[in-house]
Amino acid sequence: MAQILQYLANGLVYSSIIILGSIGLSLVYSIADFANFAHGDTMTVGAYGAFVAFGLFGGMGGSLLGLPLGFYVSLLVGMALAAAIAVLTHLAVYEPLDTDSIGLLITSIGVAFVYRASLMGVFGTDFLQYDITRSGPIPFLLENFDVAITQRDVAIVVSAAVLVGSLHFLLQRTTLGRKMRATADNPDLARVSGIRTDRVILVMWVIGSALAAAGGVFLALYSQLDPRIGFGILLVVFAAVIVGGIGSVYGAMLGGLLIGMIHELTPLLGDVGIPIGTAYAPAIAFVIMVAVLLVKPRGIAGDLT
Amino acid sequence: MSALDVGAFSAREKGVAGLLGGIGVLLLIAVVAGVLAPAYLLYLVSLSAMYMLLSMGLNVQWGYGGLINFSVAAFFGLGAYGSALLTANSSPISGNVSPVIALFGGLLLAAVLAVLIGYPTLKLRDDYLAIASLGLAEVVRIFILNENQWTAGSAGLTGIPLFFADWPVLGDLSYPYVFQVGGTALFYMRQPVITGLLNLVLVGAFVAGVYLFLRRIHRSPWGRVLRTIKTDEDLAETLGKDTFAFKMQAFVIGSLIMALAGVFYTHLVLYVSPPDLQPITTFYVWVAVILGGTGSDRGAMLGGFTIVAIQQGTRFLNDAVQLPIGPAPLRLMLVGLLIILIVRLRPEGILPPERELIWPDAMRGDGDE
Repeated sequence: MAQILQYLANGLVYSSIIILGSIGLSLVYSIADFANFAHGDTMTVGAYGAFVAFGLFGGMGGSLLGLPLGFYVSLLVGMALAAAIAVLTHLAVYEPLDTDSIGLLITSIGVAFVYRASLMGVFGTDFLQYDITRSGPIPFLLENFDVAITQRDVAIVVSAAVLVGSLHFLLQRTTLGRKMRATADNPDLARVSGIRTDRVILVMWVIGSALAAAGGVFLALYSQLDPRIGFGILLVVFAAVIVGGIGSVYGAMLGGLLIGMIHELTPLLGDVGIPIGTAYAPAIAFVIMVAVLLVKPRGIAGDLT
Repeated sequence: MSALDVGAFSAREKGVAGLLGGIGVLLLIAVVAGVLAPAYLLYLVSLSAMYMLLSMGLNVQWGYGGLINFSVAAFFGLGAYGSALLTANSSPISGNVSPVIALFGGLLLAAVLAVLIGYPTLKLRDDYLAIASLGLAEVVRIFILNENQWTAGSAGLTGIPLFFADWPVLGDLSYPYVFQVGGTALFYMRQPVITGLLNLVLVGAFVAGVYLFLRRIHRSPWGRVLRTIKTDEDLAETLGKDTFAFKMQAFVIGSLIMALAGVFYTHLVLYVSPPDLQPITTFYVWVAVILGGTGSDRGAMLGGFTIVAIQQGTRFLNDAVQLPIGPAPLRLMLVGLLIILIVRLRPEGILPPERELIWPDAMRGDGDE
C-alpha cells in the first residue's frame, strides 16, 4: 500500500512537469495550428536559462519550500528567456513561411535542432545540476505514511499548481483570456469580431513557452540537466496533449495528469508480476497515445474548452 | 519549367551535376595526393548510396503517398539488426547464418513491423501519423536497448561477416583481411580497397534495382492512384479506391527499402548498436528527401551525398581547424538550419520531380531544343 502511495506521489511530481509542458504544446497546436516539435527543446532552453541565472541569483538569502529564493527568481528568468526566444523564432522563422501545417511541423524540427545544437555548443553535453543541496524525505510523511517525499517534490507540485491556477484565472476571468479562447476556437470568427489575432498568437507563444520553460526547470531539478532532456520528454508530452484532446488547455492538464501517473505507476506492473520494466514507461505512454488516437481522436476531454 | 524541355537537362540539373562532379574530382585528387585513403573514399561513396536508398524508401511514402513517416530509423534499424542477429558470431539468438539468407530475414522483420505500425497509424490524420510513428519508432529502440537476451542490448552486435564472406571467389578475395574491431570509429580505414569495392558493387546493385523498380511502379496505375491520394484523398475515395490499402502498400514498400539500407549498413560497418536507431537518423533522411526534392529520385541521390558531406565533413573540419563548437552540435546545427532554409526558400527542393512521371515514349521527338 505504501508502495502505491509512493508511486502516486512520484506520479504527482512527474505529472506537474508534463502538465506544464503539455499546456503550451496544446496552445500552439490550437492557435498556430501545427505540432510543434521544438516545444521540448524550448523546455531545455528554459532549464539552461534558469541554470545560468541561478549562478547569479543563487546567493540570495531566504528560502521557500526548501529551495532558496534565488531559485524562484532564476525560474522566472528561465521562463522569460524561453518566451523571448519563442517569440523571436515565431517572428523570424514561422511567420514569414508560406506553407501548410505540415511544412510548419517539419520546420519546427529544424528549430528544435538549432536550439539543441546551440545549447550543446555553449554548455557541452555533460550532465549539470542546480547547485542546491538535496535534503532527505520529509520526516513526518516518512514516519506516518512510509512515503518518501522531499521538500523539493512539494515545491515542484505547488509551483506548478500556482502557474496552472494563474493560467486558469487568465483564461476565464480576463479579456485577454476570452480573446485567446475565441482565437483558439475559431480564428476567422475572432478576427472579424475585431480581435487582433496576431497579437493573441504572440501572447500564446509567450505563455506556452514560459510554462514549458517552467516544466523544463522542474524536470532538471527533479533529475538532472542536459541538452537532451526536452526532446526526450517531448513524445510523452505529445501523448498527454493527444490523450487530453488537442486544443483543449484543460484536456492537456487532464492528459498530463493521466500520462504522468501512468508513467510513474509502471513499476507496479513489475510488482504484480508482469515482466515490463520501468524502461518501458515512455513506451506505454506512446501506446496509450496511439490507442486514444484510434478510439477517440478528439481526446478524452475533446469537448471541453 | 515548360513542357517542351523535358527531354533536355535543365540548367539546375547541369549545375548540380557539375558541382557533384567537381567534388568527385577533388576527392580523387586527394586520393592520388595521398591525403585520403582510397578505402575511405569507397566507404564514403557507399555510405552516400546507403542514404540514397533510405531517401528513396521515404520517397515512396512521403514523396508519392504523402505519408509522414517519422520511423525511418526503426525500419533501418530492424534491417540492420535482423541481418546482424542472424549473421554475427556474437548474436544471442542464432548467428553464423549466411548473409544472403539474413538479408531476407532483415526484410521480413521490417515488413512485419511495417504492417504492425502501419495498421493503426495510417488511418490517422497527417500530423498524428508523424507523432505516432515517431513514438512507435522509440518503442522499437527502447525494446532493442532493453531486451539484452535477444538483442545484446546497449553493447551492440559485433563479429558480423562481410556480405560476400561465404561466397566462393569474392569471399576469398576479402575475408582474410577483415579486422573485427567493431565499434571503433576508424576501423574501416584498415579494410583493404577490395572490400570497399565489393561493398560499393553491392550497394550499387541495391540502388540500381530499387531505382528501376520505383521508376516502374511510380509510372504505373498504382503510382497514379497514390499521387491522387497525396493530392486529394477524398477524391481517390470517391473514385472507388481503397486508399488505406494503397497507403499500406506504399508504407510497406518504402519500409522494405529502408530495411535493405539497414542490411547493407550492417555489412558495411560490421557493428550495430541501439544509437543507430535514434530519431536523428530519421531526420537525416528527411533532410535528404526535402533537400533533393520530394518525390524525386534524382533528388534522393543529391540528398544522400549532402548528408554524408555533413556527417563526415564536420569530422574533418573539426580535425583541421579549432572550432568553437564540437562536431556533433555542428552537425545538428547544420541539419536544423538546412531544414528551416529549405522550407523557407525552396519548399519543392533542389531537383523537384520533372520527368519521373512521364513515360519515355511520350517524350520522343521533344528532345533537343
